[in-house]
Amino acid sequence: MRMMRLIAMREYAENVKTKGFWAGILLFPLILVGVFFFQTMLAESTPTRHYLLIDQSGQYGEAVDAAIRQEQQRRILQAFVDYVLENRLAANPEQTPARANSQIDQFIDDVGVDEVAGLDQWLESGGLDFALTMATPYLREDAPAFVSPREQFVLAPLPEGVNPDGDPEQIIEQLRPWLTGERALTVDGQSSNLFALILIPAQVNGAIVRPGAAALSANTTNNGIQYWASNLTDTRLPNAIERSINNTIRSNEFVSRGVDVQVVRNVQRTRMPLSRLDPRKAEGQEAVSVADTFRQWAPVGFVYLMFISLMQSVQYLLSNTIEEKSNRIIEVLLASVTPLELMMGKLFGIGLSGITTILAWLLSFFLFIALYPGTETELISQFFNVLLSSDLIPYFIFYFLAGYALYAGIFLAIGSLCNTLKEAQSLMMPMMMILIVPLVTMTFIAQDPNGPVARIMSWIPLFTPFTMMNRAAAEPPMIDVIGTTIVLLLTIALVLWLSGKIFRQGVLRTGQPPRIVEVLRMLGHKH
Amino acid sequence: MRCPFSSPCLLGLIEKECAVQEHVLELNRVSKHYGKFTAVDDISFAIPTGSIYGFLGPNGAGKTTTIRMILDILKPDTGSISILGESCALNVRHRIGYLPEEKGLYKKMRVWAIISYFATLKGMDKKTAKARAFELLERYGLKDYAEAKVESLSKGMGQKVQVLSAVAHRPELVILDEPFSGLDPVNQEVLEQLIQDMAKDGQTVIFSTHIMQHAERLCDRMLLIAKGQKIFDGTLADAHAIIPRRVTLECQGDISAVMKSADVLGAIERFPDIPSRAFGSRHWELQIKEQADPQQILQCCFENNIALTRFDYTQPSLHDVFVHLVGSEAREHSLR
Repeated sequence: MRMMRLIAMREYAENVKTKGFWAGILLFPLILVGVFFFQTMLAESTPTRHYLLIDQSGQYGEAVDAAIRQEQQRRILQAFVDYVLENRLAANPEQTPARANSQIDQFIDDVGVDEVAGLDQWLESGGLDFALTMATPYLREDAPAFVSPREQFVLAPLPEGVNPDGDPEQIIEQLRPWLTGERALTVDGQSSNLFALILIPAQVNGAIVRPGAAALSANTTNNGIQYWASNLTDTRLPNAIERSINNTIRSNEFVSRGVDVQVVRNVQRTRMPLSRLDPRKAEGQEAVSVADTFRQWAPVGFVYLMFISLMQSVQYLLSNTIEEKSNRIIEVLLASVTPLELMMGKLFGIGLSGITTILAWLLSFFLFIALYPGTETELISQFFNVLLSSDLIPYFIFYFLAGYALYAGIFLAIGSLCNTLKEAQSLMMPMMMILIVPLVTMTFIAQDPNGPVARIMSWIPLFTPFTMMNRAAAEPPMIDVIGTTIVLLLTIALVLWLSGKIFRQGVLRTGQPPRIVEVLRMLGHKH
Repeated sequence: MRCPFSSPCLLGLIEKECAVQEHVLELNRVSKHYGKFTAVDDISFAIPTGSIYGFLGPNGAGKTTTIRMILDILKPDTGSISILGESCALNVRHRIGYLPEEKGLYKKMRVWAIISYFATLKGMDKKTAKARAFELLERYGLKDYAEAKVESLSKGMGQKVQVLSAVAHRPELVILDEPFSGLDPVNQEVLEQLIQDMAKDGQTVIFSTHIMQHAERLCDRMLLIAKGQKIFDGTLADAHAIIPRRVTLECQGDISAVMKSADVLGAIERFPDIPSRAFGSRHWELQIKEQADPQQILQCCFENNIALTRFDYTQPSLHDVFVHLVGSEAREHSLR
């Protein structure tokens, strides 16, 4: 026991000192922080986009303006919803839409369900000023003042020498250097690139497409309203313009056909709610909350975590065994301890460092949420509450340890047979293929946790830890839980026993890795 | 024989045990086969407590296999081994120190830490092990490297560290497999000193080597094996007795008068590589009896008016014995 502890402690101490270990520990929080900060940074750092509007038809300029105003309002609305979520009093993650009782929840829910309708309502009820008045009672006292996002799309003055009433093709030719970024605009004394040109030709109405009638225009590429921009990825502006102009055309159409526009708008905003209900829950609480959905999907995260952590530990175990073997340190060790003590010491030491990594990840996760309150993290903290309150954590701990013992045994045996990592690669290949399977089926099993594939895979010991973790939230049948656990534990005992045999004989081998027959002979060997 | 324990209350009991244990190690008809290849063939020998024992033999003779069997890393196919009074080295492994033939250490560990780690694996407690590591490093000239990482050491220094880590726990029996290979002459001397220090403390040291000078300087007894078979087992004097002693003569003319002396067993004439340089003198190697007095032969030369240009009396070196015993086989082996 003492020897095993000494070996385990050395393995742990040495592993903790490696760069790889710290890279593994720090990478996860870095990615976490990176994703959120980068997103926020991107959102804030998007430069002001200057556009040009040339409306030769004189009919749609207003609609384009409206579209851009609306886009800005949409961003304010989004920012406001985020702001409210961030600063309101004691958010309850179990809150479901059905039980929403305050106006503010209703408002957030409306935006969540149907942004367009929410936006209409927002504009109709008086926009930001009204919303702030409404929301104030529900906010924390120390909440900072709301800051509207700055305008993103700004109309730029037409460069000199361009005639807005000229031939469209000529205008494009003249403006091309600005559009391609060769020349920059000067707006308020600052130089800025032209983001987009919206050109509405005089005869644009001829391009309107109506059901049943093919468009007459021969030129189909720059048909209708022309939106010129070299940035192809930011489609918010063209989408908003298209939507707005179509709305204008449609209301014109309604008017020309004698239909009341207000009636149409009311009809469009009519909707039927759909409640998602969970039959397993107590009466009155059947509604599916965000937290419930999380609970269903959380195991997928755990499977992934398990996979990454297992891979890391097992790889280290392998390379470490090979190092000792190729250095012949193993001989000194075996003159001091038994092969079994050595093997178990390694198993525990590296296992401990695997657990340390996971704990460090969870801790950084906690810290991140504690130190960085925001809308995105609001969701994550809900996720976290769910995890802590459910029995997923004990499941995870059990299946992680079981999976580790199983795979570590196998990889230790492989390591003991090889003298170089290169030799190990070929023996590792089949194991890697097997390890990939639970990762590939991860999403599928989460959707059908008690289906035939999930059940069959649960009974294959190599997949049991992953698949059962995957199914943990779906309350799998008792026979599956207990049965697979027994099979798994028996398999672990068998694997450790057999790999102990291989390890004992393998560690002192030199030369080529053995053929299958030799490995089988090792398994049958009695010490 | 010196007992490693000094506590008076234990003395009576231990002395009895020590008395029983005249031999720290005994091999009885031990053999080991790898498939059809016989690595060790029916070897028996015993090592008295407190001696320095040389384990000699050409490359591939079976030295390492024998050592591994002694340490219970390998199981002998037949025969029995008794080590420190036990049949299995595992039971007494804390009283044994072992340096394997191929040297290697954890590259990322610090020098003192690795010595103390191996000592703790042998049952020392951590604090004592650390103090012992620093003590050894200071005594054998590695004090400045105590905090260095093993990977920054040169090969020879690494090997010294490994020797220290093998003996840090003051084992009763130290087994060193090729401890001198890769060391410069200065460090070879340091290592010889270490071995002698341990023997002085009553520890038994077994080391294998194929460099005879070390064995000649250090060993009380030695074992010579070749092709897995025991060829010689005995003291240095026994070994020297194997080859008759020799006298080298260089003279003009005939030595038949000397040949008649009862002490001379035979003579071989050696021919120089470049005959013109010999200036007509001839070169003889006389084999003489074990008890013969070389003075008598010199006397005999004077009496018979043999004009000597050279008279050499040399004791055959262990090297000569080695070559004599396994020379033809070893050469054959290496050419194969």
